[in-house]
Amino acid sequence: MKTLTKIALAMISTLTLSLAANAHDPSMHVKKAKKANCSKMDHSNMDMNDPVAIAMMKKCMKQAEADKKAMPGMAHSKMKKAEKKDAHNEHDH
Amino acid sequence: MKIVKLILLLAVLGIGGGATVMYSGIINVAADEPHSDLVYWLLAETRENSIKIAAQNIEVPDLSDPELLLTGGADYEFMCATCHLKPGQSESDMSLGLYPAPPNLAVSNDNHKDHEHGDAKQAAGQSFWVIKHGIKASGMPAWGKTHDDQRIWAMVAFIKRLPKLTPEQYQILTAID
Ligand code: HEC
Repeated sequence: MKTLTKIALAMISTLTLSLAANAHDPSMHVKKAKKANCSKMDHSNMDMNDPVAIAMMKKCMKQAEADKKAMPGMAHSKMKKAEKKDAHNEHDH
Repeated sequence: MKIVKLILLLAVLGIGGGATVMYSGIINVAADEPHSDLVYWLLAETRENSIKIAAQNIEVPDLSDPELLLTGGADYEFMCATCHLKPGQSESDMSLGLYPAPPNLAVSNDNHKDHEHGDAKQAAGQSFWVIKHGIKASGMPAWGKTHDDQRIWAMVAFIKRLPKLTPEQYQILTAID
């Protein structure tokens, strides 16, 4: 029983270590998918009948939704409040 | 009878000459050594006409769906941009090293004058044919072996708009979500 446990432990650590080594293989970082840089979108001269503009909106809306789902812990409501406070302060000045 | 003999003689001479050229190794196949103007012209004309004829009966579908730009864009960035470049990039190892050189698809077609593509529909059909079947003895692969027509049309829709895209628009359209 004791040897079995030892073997199991050794196996588990070997496996985990080799997996970790795999994950850090440099070739996996070569062409990492980049997210759309939606903040760079130029809304000023955007023609919403243009397929290019529609496609960009689609992509960025989808990405924004995915981001929201991916970070449920982020308190967006609080952020807005903070912004409002700032604006208020500026008025008071 | 005399004419037949003459033709036979010419044929033998032709084959002999061809074989001599072939087996002597006199032709330089190095990609960093350009063709002579004459050979280049012969090959370019042959290619252009071949594509024109092969593509003339292709039925071009409606390419205005914005969704096509998203699938086509992601595919282009992943499979084509290394050779055919993208907005804001003017050269790559492939664009400099390949001969015949891959045309820069991110600049307007009227910039290279040896392509007289006629109207837009015809150009789209020809792009489709080239992407699907590739071009022999050049770096251009036949993507039809691994991609269905729908995906190829999406790339056609994308490269149609590509010359007018800014680097920022290109990044957004081609990013993988
Ligand atoms: C390895 C490099 C390479 C890759 C990758 C590649 N191409 Fe090409 N492509 C070429 C070369 C080289 C030519 C020119 C061949 C010639 O002139 O004989 C060409 C020609 C073309 C042409 C014809 C252009 C014209 O004006 O006649 C189109 C369209 C094209 N490629 C689209 C694509 C698309 C779309 C992809 C991605 C799916 C792609 N290519 C991937 C090398 C490449």
